[in-house]
Amino acid sequence: MKATKKLLAILLTAVTCVATVAGCGKSPVESVSDQNDQETAAIEEVEIDFWHHYSAQSAENETLMNILIPRFEEENPGIKVNAVSHEWADLHQKILISAQSDTLPDVARLDSAWIPEFQASGMLVALDEEMEDFEAVSGGLLESAMSTAALEGHFYGLALNTNTKILFYNVEAFEEAGLSAPKTMDEFVEACKTLAGKNADGQQVWGYNEPALAGWNLCPFIWSMGGSITNEEQTQASGYINSPETVKAIETLKELYDLDAITGWHSGDIPMTDGFGTGRYMMLLEGPWKTAEMEGAYPDFKYATAEMPAGEGGSASVLGGEDISMFNSADKDAAWKFMKFMTSPFAQEEMAKCGQIPVNKEALESDTVKGAAFAPFLDAITTAKSRPTVACWSEMDSELSVAVTSVMNGEKTAQEAMDELAVLYDELLSE
Amino acid sequence: MKLTNKNKMQIFILLLPGLLTFAIFTIYPIIKLFVMSFFEWDFGSIFNQKFIGLENYADVLSDKYFRMAFVNTLLYTVVTVPGQMVIGLGIALLLNKVIKFKVGYRVLYYLPVITSWVVASLIFRYVFNTEGLLNYFLMNILHLTSENVRWLDTRAGGLCVAMLLGIWKGIGWNMVVFLAALQTVPSELYEAAAIDGAGAVKKFFHITLPSIKGTILFALVMLTIGGFNVFTSIKMITGGGPAHQTDMILTWMYYKAFSTGEFGYAAALSFITTLVLAVLAVIQFRLMSNKDN
Amino acid sequence: MKKSFTQIILHVFLLSGLVIVVLPMLYMLSTSLKPNGALYEYPPKFLPALDEVTIENYVYILGQGKFYINFLNSVFVAVASVLLTAVIATALAYVIARFKFPGKNILFGFIVLTMIVPGMTLIIPQYELAVKLKAINSLPGLIPFYVAWTISYSTFMIKGFIENIPRELDEAIYIDGGSVFDVFRHVIIPLAKPGIASVSIFNFLTAWEEFAWANTVISDNVKRTLPIAISGFFGQHQFTQWGYVFALSVFSLVPILIVFICCQKFFVEGLTSGSVKG
Repeated sequence: MKATKKLLAILLTAVTCVATVAGCGKSPVESVSDQNDQETAAIEEVEIDFWHHYSAQSAENETLMNILIPRFEEENPGIKVNAVSHEWADLHQKILISAQSDTLPDVARLDSAWIPEFQASGMLVALDEEMEDFEAVSGGLLESAMSTAALEGHFYGLALNTNTKILFYNVEAFEEAGLSAPKTMDEFVEACKTLAGKNADGQQVWGYNEPALAGWNLCPFIWSMGGSITNEEQTQASGYINSPETVKAIETLKELYDLDAITGWHSGDIPMTDGFGTGRYMMLLEGPWKTAEMEGAYPDFKYATAEMPAGEGGSASVLGGEDISMFNSADKDAAWKFMKFMTSPFAQEEMAKCGQIPVNKEALESDTVKGAAFAPFLDAITTAKSRPTVACWSEMDSELSVAVTSVMNGEKTAQEAMDELAVLYDELLSE
Repeated sequence: MKLTNKNKMQIFILLLPGLLTFAIFTIYPIIKLFVMSFFEWDFGSIFNQKFIGLENYADVLSDKYFRMAFVNTLLYTVVTVPGQMVIGLGIALLLNKVIKFKVGYRVLYYLPVITSWVVASLIFRYVFNTEGLLNYFLMNILHLTSENVRWLDTRAGGLCVAMLLGIWKGIGWNMVVFLAALQTVPSELYEAAAIDGAGAVKKFFHITLPSIKGTILFALVMLTIGGFNVFTSIKMITGGGPAHQTDMILTWMYYKAFSTGEFGYAAALSFITTLVLAVLAVIQFRLMSNKDN
Repeated sequence: MKKSFTQIILHVFLLSGLVIVVLPMLYMLSTSLKPNGALYEYPPKFLPALDEVTIENYVYILGQGKFYINFLNSVFVAVASVLLTAVIATALAYVIARFKFPGKNILFGFIVLTMIVPGMTLIIPQYELAVKLKAINSLPGLIPFYVAWTISYSTFMIKGFIENIPRELDEAIYIDGGSVFDVFRHVIIPLAKPGIASVSIFNFLTAWEEFAWANTVISDNVKRTLPIAISGFFGQHQFTQWGYVFALSVFSLVPILIVFICCQKFFVEGLTSGSVKG
C-alpha cells in the first residue's frame, strides 16, 4: 500500500511537473513589469533585455559584455542588462516572431533598413514623444545618422553607429599585375578580368568577391552605374529597377561571373575573409569592421582601400549602420538609460576600437577615433545612399536576391528578371 | 476479472498524464493548425485574422516554390529510401555470414546514425565545399574533373549532397533492423533449399526476401516518413538555396512561417503534407499485403 | 579452406564499406585537431601534420567559449524529457495493453496516427501554444514538447513489451489482494524494464540532437542547447571557424557514444522488437 502511495506521488509530481514547467518559463519582459509594480520596494532590480547582432565571437561582443555592460550596471545600480547575440538574419526573424507572441526585448540594435518595417507594425516607441530629454540626446548625434530613425516626423530610435562599404584590394596582386586601384567601373571590370585566373597551385582566383546578392550587395553597383531601385518618392519601381542602367549593372556582374572573375554568394564558396586573406579574392567591398577582422585572422596580409569605383552615377556606396530602438513593451526608464549610455562618448569610443564608426559628435572628435583610420569611410559616407526606407523593404530585398540569382544561373536574362521584379515591386509598394 | 472502484480509479490515474499530454501538446495544436489554415494569419494581421476559406490551400497548390519543394522532397525520398535499404540489407547479409568482429562492425556502421543531423550536415558541408577535400580528391588525384564541382551551389548538386547524407546516415539503422530479421529466418528453410540444389541468388529471392517481408514493410514506412521529415540537413547545407531551388516541404513551410510570417499559408501546407503522407502510408501497406496473396 | 576464403572476401567487402562510412567522422576529428589557420591550406590534407596537432580548439570551446554551459543545458533537457516520457508512456502502455476502457481503440489509433505525421508539421500551432504557456526562450519549456513528440512511439513500443509479459503474473498479484498499482509496480515495471530502457535511449538521442524547435524558441546564448550552439558558429562573420565547429561537434558526440556503447544490447532490442513482429 505504501508503495502505491509512493507511486501515486511520483505520477502526480510528473503531471504537475509538466504543468509547472510549461508555466515557469516566464518571459523577461513580464518579469520587468512585475517589478515595476513593486517600484515602492526601492532598489528592486530591473532586468532589461538587449538584442543585438554583434557576432558572438567578435571583438564588439567582447567589448559589450566585458566593458560596456559592467560599466553601465555600475553606474546604474538596480538595472541589469541581459544581452543576447543573434545572427543578422536571425535577429530580424526573431523580432517579428516575438512581436506576434508578445515576447519582445526591451531594447535592440537594429539594422536601420528594418526601422520602417518595424515601425509600420507598431512595435517601436516614438522617442521624441515619450522622452523629455530626447532633443538634448539626439542633438549630440550626427544628423545624417539620426535621419535613419526618422519616419513621419517622429524618431523611432537613436543612431548607434554608421558605416558604408569601400573597396579593399590585395596590394601585392595589384602590383604584380601592374594595376592601380580602380577609380571607375570600367577599370574595376578590367581589373576583375585581369586578376582572375589560376594561381601557382592551379587554384582558381577571383577578381572580386560578393558574399550575397541582396540590396546591401547590389545597390552600390546599381547606383554607381546610374540605376536605381525606385523613384525618389519610393512609390514606384517600374522604370527604375528595370531601367537600362539598372539592367546594365546586373548584366555587368553576370558577365564577370560567367568569366569566373567574381563569385562569393554560393554556399560552397570560400568565406570572404578567408578568401581575401589567402589571396583567392583580390577585391572586396566591405565596411570598417573588416579592418579589425583582418587584423585578427590574417595580421600579415597586405591590403589597401579605395573608394567605390565611379560609374555614370558617380561613386555611390550603400549607407549602412544601426540604430538602437525601444519596443513598446519595454521598461522605458531603464531602457532609455541604456540607450543613452550606448550612444555616450565613452561607449562610442570603446566600440570605435573594434571598428564601429561612432555617431556621437564628441566621440568623433576624440583621438581614438581620429587614429582609427575611419577617414576613407567617413568620406564615402558623404556620397553613400540609403536603401529604400519602406516597410516592405525586407520582402523586396529577398525578392531581389531571388531575381538576380536566376540571372546569374542563366535562367533569365537581366531584362526579363528585372521586368518581372518591377511588377512585383509596384504591387508591394502600393500596398 | 471484475474491477473494483479503487482499481478503476487507479487506471484512470495511470491514463491521466498521457491523456493530458496528448490533449494539450498534440490534439490542441492539430485543431489549431486546422483552424489557422482557413485564416489570413500573418505578421500584418496579428490581431484581426480574417476567415478566407480555402484561399491558403489554393495559394499553396498554385505556388511554384511549393511545387519545387514537393518535387525535391519526393525525389529525396525516392532516392534515399531504396538506397539505404538496399545497402543496409546488403551489409546485413554480409554481416550475417561473418564469424569474427561482428559487434565491431555493427558499432562502427551505426556511428552515423547516432551522430546528430546538425553535426552530420556540417561534416558534409565541409567535405563538399567547392574548395573542399572531395573536390581536391576528384580533380587533383583521380583527375575525374578539370574544375571544382559546385556541389553546394546548384539544385542538382545540393540535392545530391543531401541525398548522399541521407543514405550515409541511414545505412546503420537498416543494417541493424535487417540483421535482426535475417536471424529469425529458420535455417531449415535454407537447408531444404540446398538439398533441392538452389543457388545463393535463388535462396535470397525465394527464402530470404519473403521471410523478411514484414521488416521491409516496416522499414519502408518508417523511412518514407523520415524522408518527408528532411529539414535540418537542407537548412544547414544549402539553406534552400540557390533561390529556394533545394528547399524541401518542411524547410519551405518553416521559411513561410517564420521568415515571411505567413502562418496561415504554412498551416495549409502542413495539412496537405500530412494528408499526402497518410495516403502514402496506406498505399504502401496495401501494396505489400497484395504481394502476399 | 573454402570457408575461410569466403570469410576473407566478406571482410574485404565489409571493411571497404566501413571506410566510406567512417571517413567523414574521422575527417571531423582530424579537422578539430588542426590549428584554425590551416583550414584553407593547399593542398587540403586529410590528417594534420604531426607537429600541427593542437588542442587549441578544445581549449577555446571549453574555456573562453564557455560551451560547457550549452552541454549542461542539453544534458538537463534530454534527461528530464526521457524520464518524464518513460513514466507517462509506460503507464499509458500498461493500461492499453491490459484493460478495456471506453475510447481505447480511438486512443490507440491516435497514437499510431501521430507516429506517421511528421512532428514538424505541428511546429506552428505548438509555437503558439508555447507562447501562451510562456515557454518561449525557456530551457525547461522545451521539455513538455519533447515529451509530447516521443510519447507516441514510446507507448507503442512499450505496449509491445508489456503484451509479452504473461498475464498469470498479474493474476497472482490480484489473488493476493493487490491493486492495479501493485501490478504496475511489481510486475510491469520490472519485466518491461529492458523495453523501457531501449525506448529511452532513442528518446535521449531525439532530445539530444533536436534542432528545429529549440532553434525557434530559444534566444539567449546561455539557454541554447548544443545543436543550436554548434549551428550558431555558422555563418557568423564572413568566415567560419571550422576548427571550433568540429571540436564542439566531437564534444557533443561523447555522451551519445557512452550511452550507445554501454547500452548496445538494449539498442538493438529496441530497434528490432517493432520491426520483426510486423
